[in-house]
Amino acid sequence: MISAGTLHVIATELTIGMFALSGVAFLLCLLKKGPISREAVAHWALLGGLLATPFAIFTGLNAAPGEGIESPLLANKLILSTVSTGLAIGILIRRKWGGDVDSRHASIGMITVALMLTTAGMGGEYSRNETLLYFVPKETVFLFPIWASILLIVLGIVMLGKSAVEHRR
Amino acid sequence: MRVKAATILLLMILSSTISTANPGGEGDAVRSRDCAGSCHASSSTNGVSSATLSIEFPDEIYAGLLMEIQTSVEGVDVSSNSMSGMAILINSDGAKDLPANDGWEVITDPNGGTNNYVEITDSFSSQNIVTRSWTLRAPPTPGMYDIFLAVQHGSPNGGVAMSGISNLTQVEVSAVPENLPQLAPDWTPTNTRNLGEVTTIKLETLNTDSATVELKIGAEISEIPVEDGEFIIPAAVNPGVVEWRVILTGEGPTQTSPWFRLTAQEPGWEIDETALYLQSIALLLLCAGLVILRRPSGGDYNKNYDNTNYISTESEVEAPQESTSPVGPPLPPEGLPIGWTMEQWQHYGQEHLNKLARGEI
Repeated sequence: MISAGTLHVIATELTIGMFALSGVAFLLCLLKKGPISREAVAHWALLGGLLATPFAIFTGLNAAPGEGIESPLLANKLILSTVSTGLAIGILIRRKWGGDVDSRHASIGMITVALMLTTAGMGGEYSRNETLLYFVPKETVFLFPIWASILLIVLGIVMLGKSAVEHRR
Repeated sequence: MRVKAATILLLMILSSTISTANPGGEGDAVRSRDCAGSCHASSSTNGVSSATLSIEFPDEIYAGLLMEIQTSVEGVDVSSNSMSGMAILINSDGAKDLPANDGWEVITDPNGGTNNYVEITDSFSSQNIVTRSWTLRAPPTPGMYDIFLAVQHGSPNGGVAMSGISNLTQVEVSAVPENLPQLAPDWTPTNTRNLGEVTTIKLETLNTDSATVELKIGAEISEIPVEDGEFIIPAAVNPGVVEWRVILTGEGPTQTSPWFRLTAQEPGWEIDETALYLQSIALLLLCAGLVILRRPSGGDYNKNYDNTNYISTESEVEAPQESTSPVGPPLPPEGLPIGWTMEQWQHYGQEHLNKLARGEI
């Protein structure tokens, strides 16, 4: 048998490895250096990382001691990972719809990767009490009121719907 | 540029240090003896602890009843975080060594939990003895049992994970005498409470006519009245530990329980999880929407399927090739030399004119 903790490490390394590769490729896109395949590598690696992310999240939930979210680190991990996932989905859809890999697109890709790497770094602090991100305020959780979250969900759905409709035209 | 990047990378690699595995500890847990992760590193990062380890048991241990033991770690310097892990084990093999394998149950560990491995931060040094109390329930079957105390800690200079295990301690667990006043076999004490909470504890006893509870706060011991098998421990103002024990009297010999520890702690961190999950979903949708909304300009929409640029680029590349094909020098007034073709003139016409100028023809 393999413990949830070990399985989480495997899933996390898979996820982070692909996100890191994507980040390097997006950096090359930003600098406009390196082989032309950098664009394909950036987006395919991002897709791979995105597909592996749910495994990392679920194994992480199983590996965490206690029940529920009992630490601000876990709450911030959840928020950061969903923001990163949202940006990654947006980048991939935009590219699929024919968007240019301009400097802004590449920058958003790098921010996506940075957020996911920060999430992983916080996981290390949670489990081993070690981190390189001393300067990041991880003990503070910015929590919106429920009405604001619902408003943002509606706004997000409207934006996604509007983009989809305009894309079909 | 490459040299600079390589130099920076090299400096970063050289500036890293080799550290003990899990220097922040692994956390209290039910755990077999292990190396705290250091076994994944080279053998030079492992060492044998110089600590003197001992376990003290009460004189009488009855099967299935609660008892208190003292574990001591003496004469060892640890890492700068003054932390050491302590584990109660039943063998030194590193497998099937949990107390539960022999029927022992950890009722209260030194940190107020129910684990066989705890991490203790204290003044460990070569001159000090650090002692901790554990409350255990003895195995239900009388007999002789083996117990070990294991430790793992860092080294004073860091970089080496030390581990050690005590000599074998054998204890005899006796059958419970008839009519012995005792706490019920399925009764367990409360280990923790939040600050400001009054704690009511209900005792469940067997063969007992009366019970008296003693409460120890610091060095002061006071009696607490027991009514209908219940007693109340006043609320704690500050985080800390109070100890209490019960003296049971009945037809059999009077019994005194071990000291039970009740740890008062700050309320745990809480968050409205519904609001958190909703916010996460909202941020996911919002971020995806914001990126997708930043659509490419109209002309770029079908760029992936539009080969116009590619074709025009190729045309531009080919055009200069045609213009650079040899056209030859201007024809003389008498026209092409006899027998020449225009293609030959384009390639060799200049050479022919040069020879004419030199009078070679």
